Amino acid sequence: MELPQSMQDALTLAGESIHIPDAQFPSFVEVAFRGVINSNERNAIENLKEFTSKDPAAVKEAYAGLVAMVIEAAKQDTDIESLSSLLEDCKFPPERIKEVSETYQKNKPALQILLGSVGRTPAHIVDVDWRLDYYVKNNHMEKVNEAVYLITLKTELPSQKELQEVQFSCSQEQLQDLVGKLKDACKCLERISQG
Amino acid sequence: MLLMFEDQHKEHLSFLTQVSPDVVKEFCRISMEFIRKGTNPKIFQGAAQKLNVDVDTVHHGVEGLMYLLTESSKLMLNEIDFQDSIMTLGFDEDTRQTLLEIYLQNRREIRTILSEMTMDLPHYHNLEWRFDVQLASRSLRRQTTPTVLFKLHTEDSGVKDTTILQTDPVNLLHLTKVLDEALQEMKSPYCRRIVRNIK
Repeated sequence: MELPQSMQDALTLAGESIHIPDAQFPSFVEVAFRGVINSNERNAIENLKEFTSKDPAAVKEAYAGLVAMVIEAAKQDTDIESLSSLLEDCKFPPERIKEVSETYQKNKPALQILLGSVGRTPAHIVDVDWRLDYYVKNNHMEKVNEAVYLITLKTELPSQKELQEVQFSCSQEQLQDLVGKLKDACKCLERISQG
Repeated sequence: MLLMFEDQHKEHLSFLTQVSPDVVKEFCRISMEFIRKGTNPKIFQGAAQKLNVDVDTVHHGVEGLMYLLTESSKLMLNEIDFQDSIMTLGFDEDTRQTLLEIYLQNRREIRTILSEMTMDLPHYHNLEWRFDVQLASRSLRRQTTPTVLFKLHTEDSGVKDTTILQTDPVNLLHLTKVLDEALQEMKSPYCRRIVRNIK
């Protein structure tokens, strides 16, 4: 795994005990990971009062370096070995490498889910509601007598908290057609997953 | 069920009782043409000159027939009810037979035209799907995320629309299962009983 020089320099600061004392290092790492994963805790670093470093700018840079490393490693799906060798290059002592690696390992799935949801995707169908009506007559015609389904697809978008809806109606034949096509798609997936 | 005629309507149609079945046939042809495409007053004048009668008489005759055909189709009158309904109008046997034939021939088409006038909801037209495996994105490399992309075509009063949607295999199976259940529901004894009883 490779990082730009400026990021490596920042990360090197995080490995130095002058800037981040040993006692505070675990919570420093914890806060960096939490800040990435949970947008509500993005500024949690401000609450770490124990930092009495003489050089707050260096602490800030160290934090930025660690965060950049976390995101880049998750994005590239970096394994522990190459992460360790990167941290070694940045002069991290072994116990700090262990601390970062373990926290990374623990949080990697959550980080990758988060990164996977970045970007635009079409509305994602997560559920469906249906209602069956028997259409009897209307103001122009008696004895229409046919089944009508009202289908509501519930969809989700990464950027929106609430579910959205796509609504349409269909006759019995049209629903037959729709279900037939969905079954084709299911069969196709089954074949692929078995082959 | 019988069709009830108002006196004015009977009067309009009475002209047709005095002409030959061929003329009635021609009037029916014109009526169907008007039901399909809307009225064209020029035709009335030509016909009035040929038959040597008032333009209004022709006009009323055609409109009376249009009303008779649309109203019977609207109520979906069966053969016997249609015959019984026109019994009171004073047509002879041959003309009644002609009218019945024309009604039965055109009922389907008239109902289709009527159904185009009714309120429409956005309804299903077609579904296209494809299966993709997402391999990478700008923010996350080395993925294998299976996705099913849908292009849903819907139609509302003749206006076509498409919606792009996606889902994952688990939700696809769920979606298929739930909609298949919806389809089966129509075949359930309860629904069949209701359908049998609504005539």
